[in-house]
Amino acid sequence: MVAGGVTWRDRLAVVIGLATLFIVWQAATMLFAVPDYILPRPLDIAWAIVERREQIWRALLFTLAETGAGFAIGALIGIGLAVCLVLIPPCEAVVMPLAVAINAVPSVAFVPLALIWFGLGMGSKIAMAVLAIAFIVLLNALSGLKKPEQGHIDLMRSFGAGRFGILWRLRLPAAMPSIVTGLRVGLGRSTIAVIVAEMLGAYDGIGQIVYQSTAQVDYLSVWAAVLTAMLGSLALYGCLVAIDRKLIWWR
Amino acid sequence: MKRDALLRSPLPMLVVLALAWWLVVPALKIEARYLPPLGAVIADARSVWPDLLAGFWRTLLETVIGFFIGAALGIAAGIGFAQWRWLERGVFPIFVALQSVPVIAFGAIVVIWFGNTLASKVVIALYLAFFPIAVNTLRGLQEADPQRMALMRSFGASSRQMFLKLSLPTALPTIMIGLKIGLSLALAGAIVGEWFGDTVGLGVMLLQALYFEQVPRLWVLILTCGGLGTLLYGGAGLIERRFIWWRAE
Repeated sequence: MVAGGVTWRDRLAVVIGLATLFIVWQAATMLFAVPDYILPRPLDIAWAIVERREQIWRALLFTLAETGAGFAIGALIGIGLAVCLVLIPPCEAVVMPLAVAINAVPSVAFVPLALIWFGLGMGSKIAMAVLAIAFIVLLNALSGLKKPEQGHIDLMRSFGAGRFGILWRLRLPAAMPSIVTGLRVGLGRSTIAVIVAEMLGAYDGIGQIVYQSTAQVDYLSVWAAVLTAMLGSLALYGCLVAIDRKLIWWR
Repeated sequence: MKRDALLRSPLPMLVVLALAWWLVVPALKIEARYLPPLGAVIADARSVWPDLLAGFWRTLLETVIGFFIGAALGIAAGIGFAQWRWLERGVFPIFVALQSVPVIAFGAIVVIWFGNTLASKVVIALYLAFFPIAVNTLRGLQEADPQRMALMRSFGASSRQMFLKLSLPTALPTIMIGLKIGLSLALAGAIVGEWFGDTVGLGVMLLQALYFEQVPRLWVLILTCGGLGTLLYGGAGLIERRFIWWRAE
């Protein structure tokens, strides 16, 4: 769907789909007089976003900054570790069991620990984002780096290429598609990890708005914050897809 | 090859990790605030054993119920998308987008809808499990080779036969990937769902340990959650190897 190019008909279909959802939601909530705490009307939510735009905008930037920082650090750690493991294979025996053990635990279970270790500030959220993305990037990068066949590696070696030459010219280009897949999946996960961490304790951010608005029984704000976060994470995702298309044109 | 097999088997790995924990913490004088000694964690686990067991079962139950309902709905939705092209065009991209959305933030609203019961956690778990399963079901069903489809059709196969004999078997490995993702998300959903108010469950205990800053307790719970996750994935892997022996790759 993404690779094949999006036609205007596909776009139209999505717009119709969204519009239908919106109209049915608005009509149903008005028709059955659904109270706000059960399901607010979309127009009311849109208005709430406009009304609270300064607060929500600030929180969104906060959350996106945490996600972005964690994403960058986690991606670097994941790719870096994978490269180290490929260059120095014995390391795999030490690193992989630890990584697998950490990954067996649902990452949300680490949120309280992150808050105790790194405090209520941005540090704990960045740590959660790093955790959410590093492993999946590591796994994807590792399988991608190992993809080139031994024959190709031997051929390059026979022409005098060293380990780094093989890594740079053969392994990394071969690994790019699977690394990017890892980055895509990891981006969604790290956004969720950041927001979940913010809900348990933070000074600002979308998760904190959700938490406070829930405590104040202000569900319109909860919906406003969540929908904004949705748009924010979609925008991030869109950036990643765009970068993906630019970078991996040879796919 | 033998070393690799040893690396992947969980038991020796666990023993090595436990030994490393046991030795490294006193050797490096790591503060208990960061990583308590293994002995303290085990002692803490024994002191809350009944609660831990109750929480384990409760969270397991929420995850499993949520996962199965989510899987059934997700597979049904995926099949629906594969059948009706217009539905796929209009709704599927929204599904893909919803996957990357912090639905957990709706936890509070779900608790209002379904009350502070088991049902609300099940709903959160099933909601999270639903999307990757639906998306992967559709992707898997689209993988069937058009030439083989044409061949079957030319022999007069009904669309039902084509679905059961060709599309579904081709799709199963991809669906299985979706099911595994859904399973891990269902577990995360069950744990986080408990944060919005409950009295039993691993998520509840995590929250309590955070409020009282009981780091050994947190480690007990992290290990328990890891055990629960490993149990679930292990079960899924077993089913996969038993029933889906043919693979896409």
